[in-house]
Amino acid sequence: MRASRRWPRSAGAALVMAGLLLAVGVSLAAQQKKNTFGIVSDEEYTPDGSENKPYDGRLQFVRLSYPYGLSGVGRAGRVAPWAHDYPRGDAHFMQILTDLTMVRGRTGGSNTFPLSSPELTKFPFAYMSEPGFWRLTPEDAMGFRNYLLKGGFVIFDDFRGADWDNLQFQMHQVLPELRFIELTGREAIWHAFFEIPNPLVLPAPYGGLPVSYWGIFEGNDVNRRMLAIANVNNDISEYWEYSDQGFVPVDTSNEAYKYGVNYAIYALTH
Amino acid sequence: MLESVFQALFTYRPVVFEQGAFRFDPSAGSYAAAVAGLGLAIAAFLTYRRVGGQSTPRARAVLFSLRLALIALVVFCLFRPVLVVKTAVPQQNVLAVLLDDSRSMQVRDWNEKPRGAFEEEQFGAPDRPLMKALSDKFLIRTFHFSSTAARMDPESGLTFAGTGTHLGAALDAARQELAGLPVAGMVLVSDGADTSEMALAPALLGLKAEKLPVYTVGVGQTHLAKDLQVDRVSAPPSVLVGNSLLVDVTLSHSGFAGETATVDVEDEGRIVGSEKVKLGADGAPATVRLRVTASEIGPRVFRFRAATLPGEVVTENNVRDTTIDVRGAREKILYYEGEPRFEMKFIRRAVADDKNLQLVALQRTADNKYLRLDIDGPDELAGGFPKTREELFAYRAIVLGSVEAGAFTGDQLRMIAEFVDKRGGGLLVLGGGRSFAQGNWAGTPVADALPVVVERAQAGEPPLMRLKVSPTREGAEHAVTQIAETQARSLKRWDELPQVTSVNLLTQVKPGATVLLEGKDERGRSQVVLASQRYGRGKTLAFAVQDSWIWQMHASIPLEDQTHENLWRQLLRWLVDGVPGAVDVRTSSDHVEPGEPVVVEATVADKTYNEVGDAKVTAHVTMPDGAVETVALALSGDRAGQYRGTFASHTAGRYEVKVEAERAGVALGSGVAHVQAGASTAEYFNVGMQVQTLRRIAEDTGGRYYDAGRVSGLAEDIRYGGRGVTTSEERDLWSLPIVFLLLIGLAFAEWGYRRQTGLA
Repeated sequence: MRASRRWPRSAGAALVMAGLLLAVGVSLAAQQKKNTFGIVSDEEYTPDGSENKPYDGRLQFVRLSYPYGLSGVGRAGRVAPWAHDYPRGDAHFMQILTDLTMVRGRTGGSNTFPLSSPELTKFPFAYMSEPGFWRLTPEDAMGFRNYLLKGGFVIFDDFRGADWDNLQFQMHQVLPELRFIELTGREAIWHAFFEIPNPLVLPAPYGGLPVSYWGIFEGNDVNRRMLAIANVNNDISEYWEYSDQGFVPVDTSNEAYKYGVNYAIYALTH
Repeated sequence: MLESVFQALFTYRPVVFEQGAFRFDPSAGSYAAAVAGLGLAIAAFLTYRRVGGQSTPRARAVLFSLRLALIALVVFCLFRPVLVVKTAVPQQNVLAVLLDDSRSMQVRDWNEKPRGAFEEEQFGAPDRPLMKALSDKFLIRTFHFSSTAARMDPESGLTFAGTGTHLGAALDAARQELAGLPVAGMVLVSDGADTSEMALAPALLGLKAEKLPVYTVGVGQTHLAKDLQVDRVSAPPSVLVGNSLLVDVTLSHSGFAGETATVDVEDEGRIVGSEKVKLGADGAPATVRLRVTASEIGPRVFRFRAATLPGEVVTENNVRDTTIDVRGAREKILYYEGEPRFEMKFIRRAVADDKNLQLVALQRTADNKYLRLDIDGPDELAGGFPKTREELFAYRAIVLGSVEAGAFTGDQLRMIAEFVDKRGGGLLVLGGGRSFAQGNWAGTPVADALPVVVERAQAGEPPLMRLKVSPTREGAEHAVTQIAETQARSLKRWDELPQVTSVNLLTQVKPGATVLLEGKDERGRSQVVLASQRYGRGKTLAFAVQDSWIWQMHASIPLEDQTHENLWRQLLRWLVDGVPGAVDVRTSSDHVEPGEPVVVEATVADKTYNEVGDAKVTAHVTMPDGAVETVALALSGDRAGQYRGTFASHTAGRYEVKVEAERAGVALGSGVAHVQAGASTAEYFNVGMQVQTLRRIAEDTGGRYYDAGRVSGLAEDIRYGGRGVTTSEERDLWSLPIVFLLLIGLAFAEWGYRRQTGLA
């Protein structure tokens, strides 16, 4: 198990990167988004929070929204990066979770909240997509810090390459005293419902980059509570979203669901 | 006063009339006088019959009656009426004088002098008035007594240093000492303040059997003019270390109505809390609640002290000590949660750092699929919820989360109820979509045990209630709901907490239940949120909320806030407090005088908490000097599985009593109790003269009660008591002043009436 690297970004590099992304983003702004499997998704959209359901005691899938600046436009197309795979990925997962387990969950859709929203605190299980585009405001940092330390749990998903650097950088602003620790398969989260002794067996829908899983633990101690899990170079929500369309083998979709179910059961019990 | 008038009119003391047998002792002249009297009566009748004038027949009848009464009284006297009484023969009978030599005789409420001064003035030397009056007639044996009685050494006299008063033991000891002697009775001089827990009845029975009258002399005032006393301290005998206890201290007083008393609590000499209370009317108890944290493991002596108020007659009764066994054990609680939900996660987190609680979680994640957390080994709960009593009863409390009754077999439901009723464990049922009515618990043995009435389930989704929770009046003072340092802050904190939700509408509680928390929804409708009750040997709690974790997560709750943690720590600790083990040990008292015997009782049960009647039970008593004495405990016969034994405390200090039980070489378990031996202050409590006790002793034995100020007739009364070596004596009645006054009265009445009616 090794600790993550720190990524102090230089202002120059960030500027160059922002310029490139802006150029690409503008050229693709009018295009519709294609999924990993090359299929155009007409169903994805960026919710504005108006569809949020009030808290009623049941488990609700919560997707975290965040400001992403112009850099997000290129990858996201018309859909904000934090909304990737919304709403089908969220709905499919909750349906599977409530069917398989005793969890009393809401299956009608998911809620979206910014990190500093007081309403978020009523939903201690959250999901963030494309954290490579995540930009943190001081209010969000404080709200998210409190959320996690009080008992919240977050899944970071759907990112690759240098996105991982951004995620670590942003989380360092949120929890400077804690760091990501690579997971080996021995941790409790891999045994919360399904037995997943080797989490590396699930390939990324993107292919190419090596998959790994990292967690943030209380006191940087893997025997204590995990506050966050990062599916580095993977996108399990992508599997959830298209699990009903036959783009990938059923076994692979099932594996992706297993990860999500374990994450949820872990978040509910630890 | 009344007694003096009686004696002036009747010459003799009342006892003579009570004891004496009435008879006439006529002579021959008596009969002649009777005939003469008859003649006089006839003459009077004829005379009044002839008289006319202004008189009426009624007036003549009255006048004749008065004359007849006069003649009858004279004839009565001429027949020489007498009382035959048994009188103790002088110097032939022994009289025991028992003088109270305990500390309470130092109280200065007898003519502004100590009570003991009366004893010294009346009995201090042979020439003292009462002693002389008694010794003129009897052979005196003087005893002094406190916890025990002994013959008094004239050299040492009375010291008033005894730390207890055992009236029964003193009377018994004196009776045995005088066995075989002609005894006229006993004189007991005391304030009657008995500190013994033993009943008086056996001692009185012995005296009655031997027809020994006890003449009691009460010294002191029944109520002190100005006194404040710590009446009672209500604290549990045993708690987990770190527990925050709420201890009720009850004060009583006389003469301080409207004043404020301050009560401090000391833990082994260190002040750890203080509260004030305003005192009500004289005699009305005032209760003050002190918060005490049991911070160190072991038997701890907590001292509750009421500050002395100006003018108090006795200050020693302002202090009471109580020993609390602070346990460092790790109490095991089984939490069965029927659905993965945040409530379980946050409750586990709240008590995760509590070294004295082990919350073993059995989380049902799917049908017949469980997640086990904080178990001791791979076999624990491997088959799901325990199926045998032996397995279930190993826990000290059970928490049932959102789980339906159908998840259990009928036997498991009965086992849960027995866990509380028979094993004495704690049961907490949490709110949720599968709890109470929603989980079809109505009509189950578990529902019978709960403090709330569980209704039949209604069809459809249960209504969601958003509740603002606040303590009830009882809850505001309950240990479980104290979520801040003081009661006032705790109430304020409850007011600040955000809404939570419930899907379990609980409105009715059982007759013996106490509602600690209630919730109100936006429309002002209220429902039970937290209720508790005793059920058999154990206790049950119902908590209707499904998401108390909001008190941790909500945006209005600061990150460092410990309200949620404190609430659950207190609630679960309260749930396991007082839960008995397989061997439950008690002692007759937690404080004894050095030398006083200590009775040890142990209730022994097996792993299914069935009482065991064939166990070998041994108490290992560790003395203050470290020596260990072994005492075998035998079946008491009072209750099934109850064993009893006694050991003597030799020196002052703390005694640890560890009781071990085994059957057929297999250990059943052990338990520990502690006893403190030392000088007692019991003498200073309820220090007013106990006139009822002294009257009862006198009346039950055929004696008489006297106030210390009116003892002049004591020697005479004992003389006519009829006990011991006696002789019969006659006492003339014709010469009583009352007879003379009656004669004069009748004559004057006749004369006066005649004048009124014009016949004179």
